[in-house]
Amino acid sequence: MSTDEFERFWRRIKEIERRILESFREEEERILKELEEIRKALMPSWSYEGYLRPLYTMRDLGSEYVLYIDLPNADQGSIDIKFKGNTILIRAKLRTKHKFSEWSGQGGETVFTEYRDVITLPFNIDPNCVSLRQRKGMIELRIRKPKRA
Amino acid sequence: MFREVDFGEFRLTEYKYFRMKEPAYALLAMPDTGLVGVIGANHLIKVLNLEEVGGVDSYVYLPPIAVISKKEIRLPIRIFASDNLLVVYSEFMPPPQAFPTLSKVLLDYFERKGVSHVLMASGLAVQNRFELDQLKTYYITTKPEVEEVLKGVGAQPFENGFLVGPYALMLKEALRAEMPVTLVMTESFLEFPDPEASAKNLEALSKVIGITVDVKELIERAEAIRMRARDAMKAVMPSLTRMRKEYEYSMPLNI
Repeated sequence: MSTDEFERFWRRIKEIERRILESFREEEERILKELEEIRKALMPSWSYEGYLRPLYTMRDLGSEYVLYIDLPNADQGSIDIKFKGNTILIRAKLRTKHKFSEWSGQGGETVFTEYRDVITLPFNIDPNCVSLRQRKGMIELRIRKPKRA
Repeated sequence: MFREVDFGEFRLTEYKYFRMKEPAYALLAMPDTGLVGVIGANHLIKVLNLEEVGGVDSYVYLPPIAVISKKEIRLPIRIFASDNLLVVYSEFMPPPQAFPTLSKVLLDYFERKGVSHVLMASGLAVQNRFELDQLKTYYITTKPEVEEVLKGVGAQPFENGFLVGPYALMLKEALRAEMPVTLVMTESFLEFPDPEASAKNLEALSKVIGITVDVKELIERAEAIRMRARDAMKAVMPSLTRMRKEYEYSMPLNI
């Protein structure tokens, strides 16, 4: 085998390796997304500890993720968003307290005072690559994806 | 209980005898985009003080759920009525394979009740809803005379695109059964309850029915409604995903 032939062969091997790794990454993202959907579906939207879990949605726009988090009746000044690794921790106080018994006959004396949730992304978040907007009790987070090595 | 009718895997129950005055309307509100129809219908039932007169159930197609309302045991798909308005309201989405039979059950029932115009209320998902203040309302109708009424409240005809879900099936079945039907859609969030869109949607629908409905409360209490509707929205999202609701975002290649 000549040097040229060997280099062509080696480039093909590397290309196949790249494609396999790429498909593994895509599959990993798909599985993580499905697991997140299952987790969200099974998790109650409120806790006896007195907090509500907000509704949120996530869109992959290629170079960035856009998250919309619905926080109706939240005190805008109390919205607290922290980033840790690949997770987003959200807390926001409610403007008015709500008893679960106002909405349903059950729930005992549980009183809701805040929103609380943890959202997982498929990559580590750099807080410097995040922009935030608030509107009508909803927040929009734009999170730039890290560049792959 | 007044009577029960079995239709395929569905059972329609009436709790009492009632007749509709002409012209009679039916409003169908299923949990769909932004829960626009369901939130609007819920408001309508409340402000018009409609009486619950029946319901639809299926042990095959609907989850094994009993709705408890004011200590009464009710069916998952609920029917409310006034003299000339039937409201069919459900917070539960049947699976797509149930839509054809359910459409036929409801259309058959509307015909028996002398309904002359079937209305349906829905959201129309728009990707930039977060930015929007002025929401557009669109309609699709098989009854040309309502076009003037809808245009009068700023609604536009839905010219090209795709519809996915129970309303799509209802439209097709109503066309086959030659029943006048109008779908009114207002721009909304897909994944979040959208009372603001419901208010706008209900304004248009009420004009078609010829009634006055105050929607101020829907706007004023929008945040409270959004809080309360979180579970209903969360429950319906897997169904919307499974039925490929995102097709509604697609650009059609219509001729």
